[in-house]
Amino acid sequence: MGELYSDSHREVGSIHMALTTVDHSALKVNQTGIVATVLVAVLGSQYLPALIWLIPLLAIVLLVGTFAPQYALFKQLYFQVLKPRGFVKPRPVQDRPEPHNFAQGLGGIFLTISSLFLFGPLLAGDFRPGPGLVIGLALALIVAVLAFVNLAFGYCLGCQIYFQLSKRGVIRAS
Amino acid sequence: MSAQLWAVVVVGIVVLAAACLEAFRARRARSRTVGAAAAPASDPYILYFTGEGCTVCRTHQEPALAKLDGVRVDKVDAIADRELADRFNVYTLPTTVVMSADGRALHVNYGYAPANKLDRQLTEARTGPAMERTATA
Repeated sequence: MGELYSDSHREVGSIHMALTTVDHSALKVNQTGIVATVLVAVLGSQYLPALIWLIPLLAIVLLVGTFAPQYALFKQLYFQVLKPRGFVKPRPVQDRPEPHNFAQGLGGIFLTISSLFLFGPLLAGDFRPGPGLVIGLALALIVAVLAFVNLAFGYCLGCQIYFQLSKRGVIRAS
Repeated sequence: MSAQLWAVVVVGIVVLAAACLEAFRARRARSRTVGAAAAPASDPYILYFTGEGCTVCRTHQEPALAKLDGVRVDKVDAIADRELADRFNVYTLPTTVVMSADGRALHVNYGYAPANKLDRQLTEARTGPAMERTATA
C-alpha cells in the first residue's frame, strides 16, 4: 500500500477541495458530440459544402453551454434522453465543474475563430477558396483532436490551461 | 489537394510539434534536485504534484499511488508551491517525480502514471548508479 497520506510525509501547501458531484458521462457525451460534429463538418463538406455551417453552429452550442449549462445541447441530450433510457450509465465523480466549463468555452472560442476564417472572406464578397479555408478547417480539427484526447485518455488541455491560469492568479480557483 | 486534406496535414504537424515539445520538457526536467525543502529519505520516493481542479489525480493517480508497496509519497499542491512545481516544469496535473534518496529527480511523468510504471521506475531507482534515467510523458 502506498503511504500517500501517512504523517511521515510532507504535504506541501494546502489543497482546498470545494468539490461537487460531476457526472462524467455527461462530459463524455459532450466530447463525443464535438468530435462527431466536427468530423462530419470537415470531411462531409468535401462532398456537401453546406455541412461546413455545422462549425459555427457548434461554436454557438459550446459558448451557450458554457454560460448557460442548462442549454448545453449535448449534455441535455444525455440528461433528457440517453440517461433516462439507460443508453449511457451515469458516472458521478467528486469534481469541480469550472475547469470543464472553461475547456468547453475555450473550444467554443476556437470554433468561433475557425468560423471567422471560414466565412470571413465569404462575408467580404470573396468566394474563391483561399488559405483561410485551410486555417479554419485546421482549427476546427484541433478542437476535435483535443476533445478526442479528453474522451479517450482523460487528458483535458482546457483544464490544464485553467490550472496554469489559477497558478498565476489570473483565475481564482475558489 | 483539397482544403480538407491540407487541414489534416496542418493538424498532423501541430500534433507532432506538441509531442516533440512534450519530450523536450520531460528531458529538461530530469536530474533536477528537490533542494533544501526535502525531508531526509533513506529510499527513493515520489513527489506527487496535484491540485484541487485535477480530476484524474483523484480518479486515477491516487489509486495508482496507493497500490505501491511501502513507498513514501510527498503530495504537493502545485498551485500553492509554485516554486517547486516550476523547478520540475510541472505544466500538467498529475505529475509524478521519482526521486532518489539524495534528492535527485530520476524519472518525471507528466500526466497519469500507472502503478506498474511507477513501480518499475522505483525499482530502477533502487538499483543505483547503473540505472537508466528516463523522462516520459
